[in-house]
Amino acid sequence: MGHSNASGDLSSEMEVDAFRRLFPLRFYEHHLAESIRPDGRALGKARDTTIELGAVASADGSALAKIGLTTMLAAIKMEVMTPSKESPDEGCIAIDFHMPPICSPLVRPGRPAEAEPVVSKQLADTILRHVKHFYGHSLLLDYFFKVLYSGMIDLKDLSLVSGKAAWMVYLDIYCLDADGSLFDAALLSAIAAFSHLQIPVVSMNDDGKLIVVSEENGEKDIVNKEKRKLSLNRIPFSLTCVLHKNYILADPTAEEETIFETLVTVVLDTFDQLVYLYKPGGLVLAFTSSVQDCIALTRQRLKELQKILDESVSGMEVD
Amino acid sequence: MAAKAASTPTTYSPSPTTQKTKPSFFKNDNVDWVRPDGRGFHQCRPAFFRTGAVNAAAGSAYAEFGNTKVIVSVFGPRESKKAMMYSDIGRLNCNVTFTTFATPVRGQGSDDKDFSSMLHKALEGAIMLETFPKTTVDVFALVLESGGSDLPVVISCASVALADAGIMMYDLVTSVSVSCLGKNLVIDPVLEEESYQDGSLMLSCMPSKYEVTQLTITGEWSTAKINEGMQLCLDACSKLAKIMRSCLKEAASASED
Repeated sequence: MGHSNASGDLSSEMEVDAFRRLFPLRFYEHHLAESIRPDGRALGKARDTTIELGAVASADGSALAKIGLTTMLAAIKMEVMTPSKESPDEGCIAIDFHMPPICSPLVRPGRPAEAEPVVSKQLADTILRHVKHFYGHSLLLDYFFKVLYSGMIDLKDLSLVSGKAAWMVYLDIYCLDADGSLFDAALLSAIAAFSHLQIPVVSMNDDGKLIVVSEENGEKDIVNKEKRKLSLNRIPFSLTCVLHKNYILADPTAEEETIFETLVTVVLDTFDQLVYLYKPGGLVLAFTSSVQDCIALTRQRLKELQKILDESVSGMEVD
Repeated sequence: MAAKAASTPTTYSPSPTTQKTKPSFFKNDNVDWVRPDGRGFHQCRPAFFRTGAVNAAAGSAYAEFGNTKVIVSVFGPRESKKAMMYSDIGRLNCNVTFTTFATPVRGQGSDDKDFSSMLHKALEGAIMLETFPKTTVDVFALVLESGGSDLPVVISCASVALADAGIMMYDLVTSVSVSCLGKNLVIDPVLEEESYQDGSLMLSCMPSKYEVTQLTITGEWSTAKINEGMQLCLDACSKLAKIMRSCLKEAASASED
């Protein structure tokens, strides 16, 4: 504490930038007392967010998402696989999150970033969560349970030929610029890539393999004539918050993440149900009220993100 | 994840794989054919550069040549690892990686290791290493999409990123490759042309000094063809340097405002 007391007299003389580097916590606390953050945001406000669909020409679906400076590039490639015996009518989704050395000075080649497997797992948990379907006797009931309890994607939609062929969906997300809230940006880019996905039209050749055909020469028997788009139910959106004393800061930058160590990530879906809550330790113990505040902030953010996603999707359809 | 890969069944891409046989128009005796993207044989793809692609880096650049898209970040200079011997000149550390979706078929990015050392060798001669003794500068490249001539684009983009980071260089390094297809030389080949080529020549140079930092030749070449190919590359390099320079000037004047 002696250091910070001494700094009080010096701070007026010191350049702001030097003060920020030497006493980051005090620098931030000065701001927080005024209910503003150094980048001019209110505490509960997320950074500017943009989505650009179709950023990668060689992929079947792709999107570039930016939250502030944090940039994520997600691309989907579809391959064909033989489904397992246990689930002959289901496809598969493999999600990988990559932090190449270009994205941050903390990542070095040959030494994967700590966040890489964590975010990969979080993404898989949120996107692939699925509850076993109830097979009721009425179709209506079945549909009801499916909408209420299933995850974002129905793996049955990925089936091509029952027991013989199904889609294997490879979703790869690359962090191009890391400036905090990596999971939020990664999830947003993944969702956007799925909404941009165009499933290729395939037909079976003589060897029993499926090959891509152009839609024009439709004389061959096309396997998936109608399933060109995946229907996305209950889309999950997330918000990461930082807890410090009584303050809650939404959508932290990398600097804020390192200064305040307590993070809470909340994922809600479009049915306003809680999908995922993650608080990996930290100095601050969260009260029920602060968790509820985080959820309320996420609810607001969900509406923002949904609007941004809808706008980018409808923007694509006009073209 | 490795565990996931083990449990998932083998998959294949439904897109038609590149044919093993050459299309008829590339045949040796035929000198009159049209390139896949309709360019002239000695015409480069339009080049686009932008600095400041990655904010977390000391300097960075994005380059786009047709479908070839790369990002290069420069970090440092930072303290060299303790294990390294004392050195009164700086070190350069290069790494090139591909995204899994860079190539038409997933996960078939070229041999990254080879590209990393080639990038290192191409840049080394142009950087004033004595200006940052005992320290290391990292040059990391990510190929977002591979559309042919990947390495030359990475090298050119890296020198723009180094300039953006304020690393002292004798000159920008520009790099161009030509492919030999039958009797023709095609400059700045696309992926399809590279897969059918009989030989390739890549030249990296410092255009203002008219000095070559790297020259690689593979395949079958006659001396006359090598001369022709080198001249084509040198001319293209000096044009490319103008584009790179104007990109850097634009960025500098924008930051002044």
